[in-house]
Amino acid sequence: MSKKKTKIKLELSRRDVLFVGGVAAGSVIAAQLLTTGPLSPFASFKQEQVEGVEESTEATTGHHWGMVINLDKCIGCEYCLRACSATNDVWVDEQLDRPEKPWNIVVEDKTSVDTPFFFSRPCLHCGDAPCVEVCPVQATYHREDGLVVMNYDRCIGCRYCEIACPYDARKFNWQARTEVNPYIPTWGIAEVDRRPRGVVEKCTFCIHRIDAGVKAGLTPGEDREATPACVNICPVGARIFGDLNDPNSQVSQAIDIEATIRLREELGTEPSVYYVIPKEGL
Amino acid sequence: MATQSLGERKLFSFSPAMLAWLGLLGLCIVIGLVSAFQVFWNGLYITNMSDSVPWGLWITIDLSSIALGAGAFTLSAVVYLFGLKRFQSIIRLAVFVGFIGYSSALLTLVMDIGRPDRFWHPWVYWNIHSVLWEITWCITIYLTIMLVEFAPVIAESRLFNRYNWVRTAAKYLHKAAPVLALFGLLISLLHQSSLGATYGIVKSRPIWFKPSMPIMFILSAVAVGPALTMAVAYVAEWVTGKRTIPHDIMRAIARFSGFAILVYGYIRFWDLAAVTYYGRTPSVSESFNILNQQTPYNFSFWIFEILLGVVLPAVLFLTPRFNRNPAYLVIGALFAVIGILINRWNVTVGGLFVPLSYSPGTQYQLPPGKYFPGLPEWGIAVGIIGYALTMLTLGIRYLPLFGNDQHS
Repeated sequence: MSKKKTKIKLELSRRDVLFVGGVAAGSVIAAQLLTTGPLSPFASFKQEQVEGVEESTEATTGHHWGMVINLDKCIGCEYCLRACSATNDVWVDEQLDRPEKPWNIVVEDKTSVDTPFFFSRPCLHCGDAPCVEVCPVQATYHREDGLVVMNYDRCIGCRYCEIACPYDARKFNWQARTEVNPYIPTWGIAEVDRRPRGVVEKCTFCIHRIDAGVKAGLTPGEDREATPACVNICPVGARIFGDLNDPNSQVSQAIDIEATIRLREELGTEPSVYYVIPKEGL
Repeated sequence: MATQSLGERKLFSFSPAMLAWLGLLGLCIVIGLVSAFQVFWNGLYITNMSDSVPWGLWITIDLSSIALGAGAFTLSAVVYLFGLKRFQSIIRLAVFVGFIGYSSALLTLVMDIGRPDRFWHPWVYWNIHSVLWEITWCITIYLTIMLVEFAPVIAESRLFNRYNWVRTAAKYLHKAAPVLALFGLLISLLHQSSLGATYGIVKSRPIWFKPSMPIMFILSAVAVGPALTMAVAYVAEWVTGKRTIPHDIMRAIARFSGFAILVYGYIRFWDLAAVTYYGRTPSVSESFNILNQQTPYNFSFWIFEILLGVVLPAVLFLTPRFNRNPAYLVIGALFAVIGILINRWNVTVGGLFVPLSYSPGTQYQLPPGKYFPGLPEWGIAVGIIGYALTMLTLGIRYLPLFGNDQHS
C-alpha cells in the first residue's frame, strides 16, 4: 500500500501520444463518414426526406403566410370553428369528459378592465416552433413559407408536441373515427383525409388550398379558393390572411396600421398570427 | 468469496411458496397482456389521458424504471473507471437489474405511443434537436450494451453446456466489458439527464422550465439505482438462503447511496429555494398556487418525496445503528424507490395539471388538466411489474448472477 502513496508521475510515451491522436482523428473521420458521408446507413433516407420537403415548397418560396385576427371585430359566432371542422374533417365534441377540441377554438374572454371580447385561436405557425424542436422523428417541420406542417405518415404519436406547444394548438387522435362529421355538409365538405388513430394533428392554414392555389397562380388571402376556410367564412371580416413578406398584402397593411400583438411573445416562438387588440385595450 | 457459490448449485426448489409466487407473477402478466390487447385494439382512447394531460402513469413508469436501472452504469463506473475491484461481484446483478429496468421502460413506451407499428421511426428519421430522439437512441444503444455486457453470463448458464463455441465467444466478449462499461457510462449520463431535460426545456410550462431539471433527474437516478441493486441482492440472498455478495460491499453501496441521496436532497432544496426566491415569476407563483390548492402536491412533495424518499433512506443508509441490519437497508431502498416514483409522477402530472396560459393579459384560462390513471393503465403497470419480477426470479433461478467471476 505504501508504494501507491508515492508521487504520481505523468508518463506519456510517444506511442501513447500517437495512439490518442490517432483515435481522435479516426473518430472525427468516422463521425463525418457515418453522419453525412457515403457510409451513412441513413443517407438515402435523409436525402429523400430533404428532397421531398423541398419539392413541395419550391413553388411557394419567398412567401411567409400569416394571419391577422381582429379581436375588436370578432363577434364569437364560431363560424370559423365550424367551417374549419368541416373543411379539415376535424372531430369536435366538447361535451365529452375529455373534450375533443377543434383546431380553431373560440372562447369568451375579458380584458383586465372586465370588457368582454371574443378570442379565437388557430395554430399560430410559429417561426421558432417548440413542437418542431421536440418531435423525435421530424414528423412536424417548418416549410420555407412559414407553415408548420405535419407528416401524418411519420408521426409515432408520442404526444411530446402536445406537451411542448405553448398555445394548446395540438390534438391527438385518441381513437379511430367512423361517424359522420356533423359539420358536413352544412359548413363545407371535407377537403382532406381523416387522420388515422394514434397520430397528432393540428391546423394547417388549409395548406391544400394554399399549395393548389399558388400552383394555379392565385394569391392566398385574395382569391377565395386559395384562402383558409376560417378566413373565407368570417361574416365580419375579423380574419385576414396573406403573405407577411409582401408589404402590399392585406395582412402586412393591417399590421402596419393597427395595434397588434402576438401571443406570448416572450417565449420567442415568433408566431405568424397577429391579433388586433380591442379598442379598450387588453 | 466466490467459492461459496461454487459448491452446491441448489438455489431454490419449487416449494409451495415458490409456486404461489410464480402464480402471482403469472396473474400479473396475464393482466398486463389483457390490458395491452385492449389498448392495441381500442386505441389510447380507453386510457384516462387527454389532450390537456397527454402523459400520465406510463411515462411515470418509464422515467422511474430507467432511473432505477441506473445501478448498472453507476456500479460499472465504480469498478471499471475508479478501479474498485471489490465491487466486481455485484456488477452482474447490477447490469441485470439495469437491463430489466430499461426493457420495462421500452415495453411501456411501446404501449404509450399512438403508433406502436412506427416505433422504429426515430432510428430512421432523425431530429437531432429533439431531446426525445436522443433519449430513444441512448436507451436502445445502452440496452444493447447491457445485453452484450451480459451475454457472457447467459453463455455461462447450463443451457449452453454443450456449445463450447458460445463460451469461447463469450470469453472474448467479456474482455471488452470495461470498454463497454465506459461507453455505457457516457450514454447513461447523457440520457438520464436528458429525461429531466424533456421537461426542463418546455418553456411553455413555467414550473418545468428550469436548468436544474436534468441535474435532479440524474442525481436521483445515481443515488437510488445502486440502492435498488443492493436491495435485490439481499432479497435474493434471503430467498435462496445463500450469502452471495459480501455484506461489507452491500453496506458500502448503501452508504454511497445514502450520501448520493443527501446530495440529491441538497440540490432539491437548492432548487426549491432558487425557484422561490430567484425564479419566482408571476406564472410560477400562480402555477404553484393552483397545484397546492387543488391537488395534494404539497403533501406528496414534503411527505413522499422529501421525508420518505430522501430523509428516511439517508438515515437508514448512513447511521451505523441501522445500516448494519440488512432489513433496514432493504426498507431504505424501498422508500427511496417510492420517492423516485412519486417524484416522477409529481413532475409529470403536476406540471400538466397547471393549465397553459396564452391568452394575452386577460382572464381566460384553460381548465386544469384533471387526470387519474384508468383501469387499462393500471393493468399495464401491473403487467410491467409482473414482467420485471418474473425476469428477476428467472434470472436468480437460472443465471449465474452471483460470484463465479473467474475470468475477470
